[in-house]
Amino acid sequence: MHRLSTILRKEWRESLRNKMVLFGVGFLPLLLVGVSVYMVVEGGGTDDPIAQVVLFNTSLMYFLLLPAIIPLAIAVYSIVGEKDQSTLEPLLATPITDLELFLGKALASVIPALLINWASFGAFLGITSILLGGLPPHVLTLPWLVSIFGLSPLLSLFAVSVTMLVSSRASDARAAYQVSSFAILPGVIPLIIYSSQKTLVNLRLVGIEAVVLLVVSSVLLRFAIRVFRREQILTRWK
Amino acid sequence: MITARGLTRRFGDLVAVDRLDLEVRKGEVFGFLGPNGAGKTTTVRMLAALIAPTSGEATVAGQRLGAANREIRRRVGVLTETPGLYRRLSARDNLIFFAKLHRVADPAGQAERYLRLFELWDRRDAAAGSLSKGMRQKLAIARALLHEPEVLFLDEPTASLDPESARTVRDLIESLRSKERTIFLCTHNLDEADRLCDRVALFNQRLIVVGEPSRLREEMYGRRTVVHLVEPRPGIEDALDLPFVKSVERVDDALVVSLTDPDRENPLLVERLVELGVGVRYVNELRMSLEDLYLDLMEDDDAPA
Repeated sequence: MHRLSTILRKEWRESLRNKMVLFGVGFLPLLLVGVSVYMVVEGGGTDDPIAQVVLFNTSLMYFLLLPAIIPLAIAVYSIVGEKDQSTLEPLLATPITDLELFLGKALASVIPALLINWASFGAFLGITSILLGGLPPHVLTLPWLVSIFGLSPLLSLFAVSVTMLVSSRASDARAAYQVSSFAILPGVIPLIIYSSQKTLVNLRLVGIEAVVLLVVSSVLLRFAIRVFRREQILTRWK
Repeated sequence: MITARGLTRRFGDLVAVDRLDLEVRKGEVFGFLGPNGAGKTTTVRMLAALIAPTSGEATVAGQRLGAANREIRRRVGVLTETPGLYRRLSARDNLIFFAKLHRVADPAGQAERYLRLFELWDRRDAAAGSLSKGMRQKLAIARALLHEPEVLFLDEPTASLDPESARTVRDLIESLRSKERTIFLCTHNLDEADRLCDRVALFNQRLIVVGEPSRLREEMYGRRTVVHLVEPRPGIEDALDLPFVKSVERVDDALVVSLTDPDRENPLLVERLVELGVGVRYVNELRMSLEDLYLDLMEDDDAPA
């Protein structure tokens, strides 16, 4: 635990000094909260039920994108940064275990992603409540809450696993970022499904996505842990 | 302090290290010399319990490789070829981070101690990326020492440093020798190895030779005396018919004479030359450098069997 928390603190300290990471972690949530508020307020004011569904679902999608985008930004720079600075070997020469290193890197990305996402959702609720004079309609429902609090950790886990696998083979942060970007797909796919069915977010679809994400993330996580072995890092990573 | 028996590492078909037998004593500075791609870094990685050998065994700081890898990593310090510092973190934060990973009792205190020792205290809050090459290298050495390791692996510690910084690093290594630490030094700088190392090993995928630099030179070249003559006569080398003279070679105005025991035989040699009517300007011992030895041995190693 001691070494894990040491890694976590170091990762965050480094991230706070990286402008690219700060942009992803700081500016993007602000932007997405603003757009979500706009959509819900607009949706509440329209009489067209289909337009209303699209606006509400899209605003939810933003809170499913953040848990994937934020860890992606942190993890890419965390791993490619270690390669770029040639710090992996000195780090691996310490008594730290492979699992401690992996968990340190993974949690350093997942924890801020979830906290920022939930804080953004709180800000979104607060602002829309003020603007609409109460909680926005069709938002504080069980499917929404399950999506925000249940799917987010899985989405983050998926994004971190993908990013770690991609970053282990990449020597350039931008290239790793681009390839890892498909990790946000699980946050976008539900919107496409909902839009085609012209239905609001519902528990059945959220459940299906949760199960699929859990299975895929578990498989990816196992691969990522395997890639994160000392010997692999020193002899196979680019 | 380090013992290796038949240590081998293969990467697919490539044999990076082939049946290495080695013994490094406690408190000595041991030079590990070899060309690029000889397998030096792979050897260090194996001995520092970073990668596993394909076969063979080793003990480092009393711990068996493979069975006690984590304990080995607790007891050794590694300076990699590049300093490998977190550029955005300050010099002090870099050290505190590694001190915590090694579970040093007082990370901040130990970081301060080494920053002061290596004259980096004034730059403690500067980002590591903003430090000069020499400072970064000193900081990396400090990092390798923070947990007071019994064995220190230094991989090319002065490579790419300017002469002044290289000298500072060499002085640091000298000062560490007096603290009874075992230092395993990989270097291309043969002059540096000659000056710093108690023993050296020449290595090119396999061990070629190991020993004290002076003894290796003596074994390879013998001890040779150079007699500078006032007016060398033609054929003088043939006239030196003393029983202890193994060989004589004429080089310009000097004779290079191979002897068994120069301390005893030099006066007799000079006496004989004077008897032969040859004026002697001065006499000195021919010292072959470690570089000569290295190049000759590596050439022999490359030569087809």
